[in-house]
Amino acid sequence: MRWIRAIVSLVLAAAIFWGLDNRHGTFPALGKLLNPFSGFWQNGSQSDAVPEKLVVPGLRDEVRVVWDARRVPHIFAKNDHDLYLAQGYVAASLRLWQMEFQALYTAGRISEVVGPVGLRQDLFTRRFGLPWAAENAVRAFRDDSKTREVVDAFTAGVNAYIRTLDRKGLPVEYKILDYRPEPWTDYKCALLLKAMAYSLSSYNQDAAMTQMRNQGGWEEFHIVDRLFPFFPPLIDPVIPPGTPLDFTPLPVPTRSGAEGGGANKDGESGHPADSRLGATPSDPGGFESPGYRTGPGIGSNNWAVSGKLTRNGFPILSNDMHLELSLPAIWYEIQLSAPGVNVRGVAFPAAPLVVAGYNESVAWGFTNGTDDVLDWYDITFKDDSRAEYLYGGEWRKTIVREEKIKIRGGATVVDKVVYTHYGPVVRSKDEPPFTNMNVPPGAALRWLAHDASNELQPLYALNRARNYANYVQALETWDCPAQNIVYADREGTIAIWHDGKFPLRWKGQGRFVLDGTDPADEWRGWVPRGHVPHIKDPERGFVSSANQMPADAGYPYYLGWDYAPYERGARINEILAAARDVTPSDMVRMQTDVLDIRARAVLPRLLDIIQEKPATAAEKKSFEELRAWNFEARAALIAPTVFRELWNELNKLTWDDEKTHDMERMTRPASQVMVDQILNYPDGEFFDDANTYGSIETIETLTDIAELAFRAAVANLEKRLGPCGDAWRWGKVKGTQLRHVARIPGFGREKLEADGIGHVISAIDTVWAPSWRMVVELGPEVRAWGNYPGGQSGNPGSPYYDDFVDDWASGKPYELVFLKSADEPDPRVVGRTVMRGKK
Amino acid sequence: MTAVLICLLTMLGLQLLTPYWWWVMIVPFAYGAAAARSGWKALGTGFSAAGLLWLGSSLFLYLTGSGLIATRMARMFGLGKSWLMVFVTALIAAVAAGVSGYAGYAVRALVKKQAK
Repeated sequence: MRWIRAIVSLVLAAAIFWGLDNRHGTFPALGKLLNPFSGFWQNGSQSDAVPEKLVVPGLRDEVRVVWDARRVPHIFAKNDHDLYLAQGYVAASLRLWQMEFQALYTAGRISEVVGPVGLRQDLFTRRFGLPWAAENAVRAFRDDSKTREVVDAFTAGVNAYIRTLDRKGLPVEYKILDYRPEPWTDYKCALLLKAMAYSLSSYNQDAAMTQMRNQGGWEEFHIVDRLFPFFPPLIDPVIPPGTPLDFTPLPVPTRSGAEGGGANKDGESGHPADSRLGATPSDPGGFESPGYRTGPGIGSNNWAVSGKLTRNGFPILSNDMHLELSLPAIWYEIQLSAPGVNVRGVAFPAAPLVVAGYNESVAWGFTNGTDDVLDWYDITFKDDSRAEYLYGGEWRKTIVREEKIKIRGGATVVDKVVYTHYGPVVRSKDEPPFTNMNVPPGAALRWLAHDASNELQPLYALNRARNYANYVQALETWDCPAQNIVYADREGTIAIWHDGKFPLRWKGQGRFVLDGTDPADEWRGWVPRGHVPHIKDPERGFVSSANQMPADAGYPYYLGWDYAPYERGARINEILAAARDVTPSDMVRMQTDVLDIRARAVLPRLLDIIQEKPATAAEKKSFEELRAWNFEARAALIAPTVFRELWNELNKLTWDDEKTHDMERMTRPASQVMVDQILNYPDGEFFDDANTYGSIETIETLTDIAELAFRAAVANLEKRLGPCGDAWRWGKVKGTQLRHVARIPGFGREKLEADGIGHVISAIDTVWAPSWRMVVELGPEVRAWGNYPGGQSGNPGSPYYDDFVDDWASGKPYELVFLKSADEPDPRVVGRTVMRGKK
Repeated sequence: MTAVLICLLTMLGLQLLTPYWWWVMIVPFAYGAAAARSGWKALGTGFSAAGLLWLGSSLFLYLTGSGLIATRMARMFGLGKSWLMVFVTALIAAVAAGVSGYAGYAVRALVKKQAK
């Protein structure tokens, strides 16, 4: 009896011990987590207190950190080394967990933390060559002595902070997921830059385009080029049409017969890839649906207005960069000051320097260039071993890179990635699709972000730029992701450069999967840096960009075709073209403009068609909402909801019937093509339902399609949301979410109701939105306003975690504190920390 | 009562000095194995001492700055109210300590009998 009692109670105690000390699937180790002395209870706001003195080993001199009321650090150092070491320390103290988690994610090591659920993601990351790209970037960092100093100091600062942490002080996510931070390295800074390159320069539709081109009859009627034109209607390019070139262009490569992306007269380019792909019927399961589509449509805005147009006579620069919303936020604010530099703006927690911002002389900001710097090459392997592949009539050897993916609580998976001279083969022929991207099976990836590049070098120079010449020089080494970098300075100059490293290609090269066996399909050198699209002090008094096509047909080089739709760019230019006596608050208001010019263009026409037809109560109510609408995407309105649904149905009914049976899903043409069809081709062939092709009696026009679309839209909404009423309000339907970076429930902000939609200036959508809004006035005293969706602290238990969110959602920015010295009195300063290397 | 207090203070000291949660199992086990008069006494002492320690400390933190993180943790666990985190914290420690104290006594009872 005693034996049984002893054994049972011991086993029970041991089971409880084991149960509480370990993670179970995604369920945390409760003993560790709930322990009031070192578990989550220690992650409250108690840790928000600003220390007066800190010992940070490695500092050469005293560093002073001034904290303002929004918990923005203003770092004053006596040399560069100390400046970036202190930045590393401060960044880690605010955001360590986020920094490391992003690095692990991009390194393809997420399975080490989350277990087997992360394997597929890790596999994709490794196949895509992101760790390889970061290794190449590290080499470039180390080759440049200045970058090396900056990155090494930053790394030392992060590690100095990590060394202060006992279990109690760890960010709460480490406690929930039950692991510990490892030492920081320069490789992790590189991973962050490659994560951004992936996010901003990997979007492509090459596989879907290739499949479309290969449909019967498509090539003959040039349908790809008509639906996905190189120079789409309605687009107002970044560089105003007619701007004269200030350089002599290089001869542009051509590929006989391939001009225009294979849309040649006889439908046969003579291109070996064409005949080969054409001869093999495409495999219907071979391409996955491009439903993820996170490319064009999301994006950013920036503009600069010359002093000619402003009330105070000073230039004003505005920037809002749209990225995926998250908590902790992607940015944090910082001021960095040392001899030779005093810069303020936003930075990525995981990398040194200010990324977008201003100093005492200039301001700059970004929108994504959205150019095509990623191509797929069809590879012909000698045999299944994939040890050799055909290139220029010879067999070349592949290189195998072994990727070892450690899985928490399981074995290590070894993935042998085959590399050609182009880059990695991401997906083999017989493999199921990745959800991340539409990857053509068996093709090798040529991606600019794999090439060694050092984007910290131009950032270092921009942080210190004093004038236009400094800015232009800084841009020379900005490779990838290509950006529209807007500029304004106190001397009154405004400019925008569509900057990046661009392969020299024939028009349309890389729009379809290329032939990996033919050296003629390779990139042919680079567009010279002075030849990228750019403009300084234009006649019209402003420069702007919104990820749209950089230049019109007068620009000599081919940079890509799949740019953002027209709406944001056109709206910005429309407002600025009429602007006079501009003030910073006008620019702040403009950043929250929600006028939907797409709706403004097509809705009157559609309502004319629909007006006699509403039958049900919901249809009548919807119709009235649309008719009374001022085209603003306001959270409180019902019309934006109805219009979005109507737009989706119109697109579905217009385009989806064009696909043929062996095309699983077609990428739909961009919005401007649809708008053009509605306004200019209401009786056009695309509105005719292809299912009734050849039947003369049933030729559908816009009238038929619009009616059907309206009915279907209202029916969908009723089914999904119930009777037309409160539940249909746009803010509710859109439900903007700031999810936690690791998607921990309760750690994000869900169902935020905010004005805006992806294609208006204030592009607050469900998960993509302006991630940093900034307005800078370049007067004798530079003044700036800004806000971002989040808060400075990465600690979910701190009020500083998400304290900017509500003001951000309602479009209210803060005037930014920009100090000249650590001693400058400012009522908004709430604390000061003195850092020293030794006591 | 004295036993509860001694256990509680011992655990408090060890928890302040080290990051380990399992002192709330070790200390009651040791008490059960060394001094408890009965299994139920060992269980009750461990349960009360650890429960009170984690209740008191988590409640203190809950009221002095950890309310927000408790709210988020409660949401993560699907609990409706943030104060439930205090309750769950105390309960987990109490149950673990109670069972451990009982097991300590049961082992001692075994050794004692063999010694006889």
